[in-house]
Amino acid sequence: MSKLFQVSLFVPGVLLIVFLFSMLPVVFQADPVNGALHFQWMNGFTKIGEYIDGIWTGQSFRYYAGSNELSFWEQIGNGIKVTSFYMVLGAVMGMTIGILLGVYFAVTRAEWFKRLLELTGALPDFIIVIVLQSIIVLVAMKTGWVIANVGSFNDNEPAILLPLLSTIIIPANYMIRNVALHMKHTFTEDYINFAKSRGLRKGYIIFRHALPNVLPFIKADLHKFMGILFGNLFIFEYLYNLHGVTLLVFTNAFGLKSYQYSLVVNGILTFLLLYAIVYLLLRLMILGWEKVLTR
Amino acid sequence: MNRALIAGLIITLVMIAASFFGQYLAPNHLEDQVSVHYTVDANGQGTLVVPPVSPNAEYPFGTDKAGTDLMAKLIAGSKYTIIVSLAVAFARIFIGGIVGLLLGYFGKEKKSRAKRLPLWNVLNGIPMFIIVWMVMIGISINPVVSPVYLTIILAVVMTIVGIPSVASTIKDKTMVIREKQFIISARSIGAGPLTIIRTHIFPHMKESFIILFVQEIILILGLLGQLAIFNVFVGGTTMYFDPIEYVSRTNEWTGLIGQARSYLLIYQWILVIPLVTYIVFIFGFHLISVGLESIYKEKYSKVSHI
Repeated sequence: MSKLFQVSLFVPGVLLIVFLFSMLPVVFQADPVNGALHFQWMNGFTKIGEYIDGIWTGQSFRYYAGSNELSFWEQIGNGIKVTSFYMVLGAVMGMTIGILLGVYFAVTRAEWFKRLLELTGALPDFIIVIVLQSIIVLVAMKTGWVIANVGSFNDNEPAILLPLLSTIIIPANYMIRNVALHMKHTFTEDYINFAKSRGLRKGYIIFRHALPNVLPFIKADLHKFMGILFGNLFIFEYLYNLHGVTLLVFTNAFGLKSYQYSLVVNGILTFLLLYAIVYLLLRLMILGWEKVLTR
Repeated sequence: MNRALIAGLIITLVMIAASFFGQYLAPNHLEDQVSVHYTVDANGQGTLVVPPVSPNAEYPFGTDKAGTDLMAKLIAGSKYTIIVSLAVAFARIFIGGIVGLLLGYFGKEKKSRAKRLPLWNVLNGIPMFIIVWMVMIGISINPVVSPVYLTIILAVVMTIVGIPSVASTIKDKTMVIREKQFIISARSIGAGPLTIIRTHIFPHMKESFIILFVQEIILILGLLGQLAIFNVFVGGTTMYFDPIEYVSRTNEWTGLIGQARSYLLIYQWILVIPLVTYIVFIFGFHLISVGLESIYKEKYSKVSHI
């Protein structure tokens, strides 16, 4: 398959997947009387047809929030602002902290700290969010001092510290473990032994010999990192009540009338666009690391 | 044997035992509900008891808003949590393992991840729980069918969604082993592919399979929790209108966490106790996985030069 063919297949492929994916809730239906499972494919394909027709009339870019009809274009701007703020910061900070601490963990012998890190890595993201919130509540109950908002109750007092903390901690944790693992593996290679026997300093070997050989693994695992970052986004926007892209879709997907197919399609496409932007940003960052380390 | 493995095994076995035999030992049952009542003690001091009752001697874990003992609820729901997580993990490993072994043995050299169709990479961006949620949301709010039937549907969906990642992990490992010399010599004396997979490749991957199984359990428990945050509970969700409230039909652990999410600021035990139980359960499996990995590492890994 030529490169051109793959690229030309890419956009229609993504569109098709998003279309099919968004129609899942209308396809799987339970019979209201005996509860038998039905696959209503026709329902799904009608939705796709309606969406495509609605692009020209503009109906596909309107949705109901409660009983108000709103324009998708007007509402999504704020959502993109909130979501991209957390995603860009989470991606950049998570990766930087992850790489640096990962290097540290590969050489340190502080076992208990590693154990703690592994355990928090095994816990699902929503647990970390709820535990952070509980700590704030506990401290507030004991001392009367509210360190941070546990959620955004209105737009004037948004919760910032906790969402930022969770958007950095969770991907960084994955990155630390990943970098430390590959780093340790690299340390067993013969060229490290050789560099050591030439009398090079430890710091020099780590940053000039070992780390450049770990960066390709980070690049290969970038999509996994992004998956964790963006999967976490759904959870923390919901739990902290941040008005980002995913919360907009989730709260309105099942409107007063019925399932709002066009809103879900638009929302997922926006989400994928943000994914692409953050992905390119991270690739650029790794390129920068490579240039600095192998200079 | 090491400490992490033993501690993990003890934690999980105790919890599983408590789940299946706990109902005979627990002080209260699911049917007994605390109602609003007024008692006067010997000194003439009156107390008004209104559920939710905070944890005390009679109700060690307290009760929920309806007055049901939380311990009884946890015991009733634990069967769903434990059986679903173990069964789905086993099904994923079994089916994904067979697919992975076959693909790894017969498959071509794998393309590097950067060269793969970018389409598959985009799919990685959509988290797994969203896929399961999209399938289940249409059928699990106020369902007509029995909780067990709906649990089976959820289990099947979660199994199907998880097979590809298991298969690709096993496939990668199989590809490394099939290049080893003993495979070539087995082939040269005329062993068929299936014989080689069964008697030469699989025995080398037993440890990987066991570790993967434990890690899948942890992932599945996480997935159940994420679904519960978005009101899809194992066995179905009962939705009450006015005020809108989502209640788990089976009292499954993640369901108890999901439905108690609003108890962060008041009556915290309704949220904290299921949450702690759930974390301890995950912690048990995590210790097992850490213990197994360290045994494995001692056997095979090389020594660091730094």
